[in-house]
Amino acid sequence: MSTEKRSIAEKTAQLDELVSWFDSDAFELEQALDKFKEAEKLAAEIEKDLLALKNEVNVIKKKFDEA
Amino acid sequence: MDESSLLLSVSDFIAVTNQTLEYAYPTVSVEGEVASFKVNQGKYVFFDIKDQGGSIGCFMTVWQLRVPIEDGMKVIVTATPKLTQWGKFSLTVRAVRPSGEGNLKKSFELLRAKLEKEGLFALERKRRLPEIPHHVAVVSSTDAAGYKDFIKIVNDRWGGLKIDVAHVQVQGVGAPDQILRAIKYFNEQEPEVIVIIRGGGSADDLSAFNDELLVREIAASRIPTLVGVGHEVDVSLADLAADVRAATPSNAAQLLVPDKNEIIRNVRHRVTLLLPRTIQALERGQQNLRDTLETALAAIRRRYDWYDDHIRYNRRVLSELDPRKVLARGYALIRGDLTVGKAIEIEKSDILIKAEVTHVDRKA
Repeated sequence: MSTEKRSIAEKTAQLDELVSWFDSDAFELEQALDKFKEAEKLAAEIEKDLLALKNEVNVIKKKFDEA
Repeated sequence: MDESSLLLSVSDFIAVTNQTLEYAYPTVSVEGEVASFKVNQGKYVFFDIKDQGGSIGCFMTVWQLRVPIEDGMKVIVTATPKLTQWGKFSLTVRAVRPSGEGNLKKSFELLRAKLEKEGLFALERKRRLPEIPHHVAVVSSTDAAGYKDFIKIVNDRWGGLKIDVAHVQVQGVGAPDQILRAIKYFNEQEPEVIVIIRGGGSADDLSAFNDELLVREIAASRIPTLVGVGHEVDVSLADLAADVRAATPSNAAQLLVPDKNEIIRNVRHRVTLLLPRTIQALERGQQNLRDTLETALAAIRRRYDWYDDHIRYNRRVLSELDPRKVLARGYALIRGDLTVGKAIEIEKSDILIKAEVTHVDRKA
């Protein structure tokens, strides 16, 4: 799945995973910089996605004054 | 008989009178105190409304009675005046509502107790709203300030929602039925939550949300409901029947969706914390390395010291065993065959002597 097509929820889940990695036993100094860059990129994408989303408000035509 | 007068049958007279009444007063609202309230066969409601100057009989069906009333309560009836076939004048009531704050409160408490007893407000009936809905239905008046606040706050907090709005009357006699129909309509659609909102107002303005049928409709809704009516201090029965109660329309928006700005701040903060964490890990690694090197160096030092001590000791022992030291003390070293007649060499600290063995005796 490409990065662009992933939902905000999926990106947030991936960010959670990356952040957890830093606190886990799997942490390795050699990989930390790459993981950090990846987290930074994801955070920027999440922010961009959140700010780009707009709501669609639709006042329905049906009248409710009569049964 | 007066030639100019109209001759009518009784039935015709009643019909003409009713036509005249209908033309003159298609709908009247009459305020008075309830007396002789009774329900017949569980279907028909009879009572009188009276004041100091008179009394009128009223008739309505049970399903039209949307708020509890009792004798002594001051009410406003919306009705059509009618002359019955028995010649009795009465009001055919379409709606009745308590008049004045005291009576509204009394009616509210009566209905609240009744519905509470039925379990309509029970906590175990409450459902959770979806964490982040995608399709939201809103029942409100699009002209109301409360609705505008709600939409503004939702737009500020979150995006990507499909919001279907049913524009309804949120106060007055027709409001409960309109709201109720909108809830029914959305229950035939697939929104994930129905939000019912209305801004603040007087107790009378908000009384639509204490309508029994409306409250029952909210409680029976297949789709989870979020109700935000009035100000924080106002409590309506619609609030109590809802799955989630918001204090105000703005609060309803806050309960409905998370705040994207808060999420963005949180995401940034979490990432910002990763760099110090990495630096900390790097420093920890460096410290471990230093500790290991120091441990190794200490071990080397200890081993060196051991060898050093050992060598010094051996040197001291060797030094004590040096034959030159013995010779210096006056002893002599003899080399050669200690047999009589053989030549030997005698070494002292400062001279060498060549000699011949002349006599060898064993010590006793």
